[in-house]
Amino acid sequence: MTPLLTVNNLTYCKKVRPWLGKKEIFRLAPVSFELKAGETMAIMGENGSGKSLLAKLLVGVERPSGGNILLNGEALSHSNKQQRFRAIRMIFQHSKESLNPALTLGSLLEEPLILNTDLDAPSRKKKIELTLTQVGMLPEHQYFYRHMLSEGQRQRVAVARALILNPQIIVADEPFAALDPSVRSQTVNLLMKLQRDLGLGFIFISHNLGIVRHISDRILVLADGNVVESGKTDVIFNWPKSEYTQRLIQAYQALITRDD
Amino acid sequence: MPLLDIKNLTLEIDTALGWVKALDKINLSIDSKEVRALVGESGSGKSLIVKSIVGALPDRWRVTADRMNWKGRDLLSMSDTQRRNITRNEMSVVLQNPTTTLDPSATLGEQIGESIPDSMLDKGWFWQRRAQRHTIAMQQLHKVGIRNHELCLSSYPHQLPDDVCQKFAIAMALVSDPKLLIADNPTMGMETTTKIQVLRLLAKLNKTRGLSILFVSHDLLAISAMADTMTVLYCGQTVESGRMSQIKRRPLHPYTQALLDSAPSFRRDLPPKAALSCLEGTIPTLQHLPIGCRLGPRCPRAQKDCVKMPAVRRIHDHHYACHFPLHRDKP
Repeated sequence: MTPLLTVNNLTYCKKVRPWLGKKEIFRLAPVSFELKAGETMAIMGENGSGKSLLAKLLVGVERPSGGNILLNGEALSHSNKQQRFRAIRMIFQHSKESLNPALTLGSLLEEPLILNTDLDAPSRKKKIELTLTQVGMLPEHQYFYRHMLSEGQRQRVAVARALILNPQIIVADEPFAALDPSVRSQTVNLLMKLQRDLGLGFIFISHNLGIVRHISDRILVLADGNVVESGKTDVIFNWPKSEYTQRLIQAYQALITRDD
Repeated sequence: MPLLDIKNLTLEIDTALGWVKALDKINLSIDSKEVRALVGESGSGKSLIVKSIVGALPDRWRVTADRMNWKGRDLLSMSDTQRRNITRNEMSVVLQNPTTTLDPSATLGEQIGESIPDSMLDKGWFWQRRAQRHTIAMQQLHKVGIRNHELCLSSYPHQLPDDVCQKFAIAMALVSDPKLLIADNPTMGMETTTKIQVLRLLAKLNKTRGLSILFVSHDLLAISAMADTMTVLYCGQTVESGRMSQIKRRPLHPYTQALLDSAPSFRRDLPPKAALSCLEGTIPTLQHLPIGCRLGPRCPRAQKDCVKMPAVRRIHDHHYACHFPLHRDKP
């Protein structure tokens, strides 16, 4: 069975040219991994380790300088944007800022449909209503603006926007960081339910190791643009190999177990 | 005698729909050398409590309390000057989000110099005092674990990373040698390793200087690593308070249970990818507060009595406000 997403030796170099010569600022060393359908992969690492950059490369915001990304065995080219945008969708960290305040949720969700599909207006509307109910909201919510919603509902809309093109992979950049605990568990449950029902592949970036351990199947640890370690969640949490991962895990363990 | 003792603190806010009780009968007490956590989600009034303790609320809001004592002296009835003296010398606040609370137009050196009280300096010429200020600032920065003090003191807040700014804000709060440190969400948005550093720092200060800390946050992991006692807040009502270990082992209020359940790290028996238990719905806004117990509409155990405000009951030093507490079914 071909994996859903295969990443081969993906590299990225950011260079600035001051006056003379080339100075390399940041590079993402060759990254390779595979993602099967219905699987969740978490990306861990400190700030500035290239987590968000990897997410951007996957969704096609940034152009990689080497390597390739295969979706179901066929290469994604940078020119065929529609194919990529339909297959890989992204959820952003701050759901509030990522929604346009001047548009109703309906028109917000309609935009990707207009750009990427050839559905006519009534079927677009039907699709929007279907997606809204899928994420646990009412069809009437399409007439609402973002300021009328609570935080949890906004996050749901962000999920709905990612889902509306029936993607195969969702890339989420810190989707739970800005949420309150009770709303956070709701969103976690929603994402896990959608994954079970639709067989989505998830790639998500998070600082919260508790949630990483709970929902992910595999983990990729990045430091300074290099892959330090990757493997099954269980293995990484119990037998971390590299010193960097050990430090991360220890810090986390120190928080939950308290000697008193 | 507790350091800070608050009983039935009520804060009313003037809105278009009339007076709304943003805080409703809050009880809170902090002993000296105690680390107390104040837990609640956003909009539960955590920051309002902090502001009403230091008196940073607008005058037109009504603050009433049966008791609001600082070392036995009533904070509400004293004059503004006296109160300012107390908040200046004996309490310190680390506000949420250092990048926005620090002055963007002044260097960090100028800002920390301003917060050093004159009583800590010898009499001398202004250049001598300036040198003293600089040494004190330097020592403080070393204490909180900022090594590169020259760079830090000469830069503006936007030039430094968030975690350094947060440590700097803690240094600034500690410079006047307070008895109580109120830390409003000091670990928000930090990654685990930095978070640990800040928590260790606070724990060390608590041990060595006997500093009391009111740790305001919704990060249960950080709280459970730090605090001795915990007060849980929901929508401006105190829901449960008591010793951390006791609450963690056997919460009595359904909301506390839900909060604890929402952190998968605490539950080792939970199979991976199992659904987390959570409360339905979201926190009501101030304009649409339910009557009685404010958790009512979201509570899985709610019954008819819940439209009346439950009285605070206690078992030893474990206080809770619920008609139908968990683990304690009616005989």
